[in-house]
Amino acid sequence: MNRSRPLWIALLLIWSLLPMLWQLITSLTSSDALVNADIPFQQRWTLAHYRELLSGDPPFWRYLFNSSLVGGLSTLLTLLLAVPAAYGIARMAPASRRTIRTVVGAAALFPYVLLFLALLELAREFQMGNNLLAIALPYAGLALPLALLLLISAFEGLPNELDDAARLEGLGVVDRLRWVLMPLIAPATASTGILVFLFAWNEYPIALTWLSRDDLLTLPVAMARIAGSSIYAVPYGAYAAATVLGSLPLLTLVLLCQRQIVAGLTNGAVKG
Amino acid sequence: MAMVFGWPMLRYSWLSMHASSVLTGLEPVSNQGANWIRLLEDARFWQDAVQTLRFAALSVGLEIVLALAMALLLDQSWRGRGVVRALSLLPWALPTTMMALGWRWIFNTPYGPLEQMAQSAGLSPLNLLSNPDWTWLATVIADVWKTTPFITLLLLAGLQTIPDDLYSAFRLEGGKTRQALTAITLPLLTPYILIGILFRTAQAAGVFDLIQVLTGGGPAGSTESIAQYAYLNAMRFLDFGYSATVMLAGFVLLSLVIFTAAVLLQISGLLRPLKS
Repeated sequence: MNRSRPLWIALLLIWSLLPMLWQLITSLTSSDALVNADIPFQQRWTLAHYRELLSGDPPFWRYLFNSSLVGGLSTLLTLLLAVPAAYGIARMAPASRRTIRTVVGAAALFPYVLLFLALLELAREFQMGNNLLAIALPYAGLALPLALLLLISAFEGLPNELDDAARLEGLGVVDRLRWVLMPLIAPATASTGILVFLFAWNEYPIALTWLSRDDLLTLPVAMARIAGSSIYAVPYGAYAAATVLGSLPLLTLVLLCQRQIVAGLTNGAVKG
Repeated sequence: MAMVFGWPMLRYSWLSMHASSVLTGLEPVSNQGANWIRLLEDARFWQDAVQTLRFAALSVGLEIVLALAMALLLDQSWRGRGVVRALSLLPWALPTTMMALGWRWIFNTPYGPLEQMAQSAGLSPLNLLSNPDWTWLATVIADVWKTTPFITLLLLAGLQTIPDDLYSAFRLEGGKTRQALTAITLPLLTPYILIGILFRTAQAAGVFDLIQVLTGGGPAGSTESIAQYAYLNAMRFLDFGYSATVMLAGFVLLSLVIFTAAVLLQISGLLRPLKS
């Protein structure tokens, strides 16, 4: 294995990155050159797709902004709900903890696509369609099971004595959580937050049915809309440019937080 | 959580016993189980069910094998490992719809790179996205590319829990490095592999974005999944009662598959390491 390792690493990188590199190349290729291989090499390159994208109506950064807003809000909401809940659950008797874990685990496994219709009805009922703030509610609800699994494990990793000592010092439950326990589970909270953010950033079926106004679309819906027009008329050049621009924030996030993401999934998976 | 998970299921159960479509002015009218009878006779639903299952089975199978290889590679220590780990995570982190369209361009006939290569190799056009017999394999490739990193992460986590001492002891006893894989690594990794299979099967059974964008369910409906059919019924045919029925049925089928798998695993004794 040792001698052939560079080969395997290269294969892994090619497999993971080639489709994305192809998007990058496509985004820089002029529309004519995409469908005509005979155009000479020097005349194939252009920035037109990017210019088109940024001057479009609504401009592309609008979708990035929408997605960031929804992602950030959902993450915040999920953590606000999940941290206290996980703390409460982690302090329960082992038997009830096991039951709750099973239920939460089942919910985390559930293919949530199947829920979109009823959620859409709720959106209509409460007038929550076309509202970027409101869509964070179902996102938080859907992300909650995974967040709970990860955070319960984190709280269970802390010794009970710590909590008891803080209680003896006269700290109330809120203060204990805020000043003693939160700092200790900060890494787990961070990795949970990143996973929730990724989920909200990438979610499609609910965004598709809840949002219809052009200037409110999140990135995945805006992207898919380009594809929806016709099988033959997809503007692949502009689309590839959108892919590149849309990937940059995530690329940064993943490269910076690789460790947290791995650690987060690890903990939840081991015990969940 | 009760609102987001519990309420929909109750609502579906109720809706599935009612006709609620354009014909009834979108008001639910009880139709005594006609939805369910229609479902049993609906060839399109059963075709979608078969398609969803074969899609899930093949992609999860491939993903596990590939992820195991990747995890073993990424678990060894070498320079630049952190960066490679992060890069190999990327496909999983990007929005599905985004890369589904990327794959659509790669599979494109006649301008995609694969077709171009086939052409210069003198092959006849592959028509990867317009051949009803083969297109589902294209969806599997895109799915494997996209979600293998997720399982890789899980398995990597598992590998890190195996103490190095075990391997040293194995070598002292005269075991070969190659044998260590089957003697130590795989048995101890089994719980992680099972969790991976479970998670991915559930997700793959609900596949929607990927197929919606990559093929739109075509050609000739050959790649349509259950979730997509439910979506079509609600949003295009505006038949909410039947859509709810399709979703419930999909859920029941999925539960059956997972339950059967769990029973089979129990019988084969593969679950034993989980209990220790």
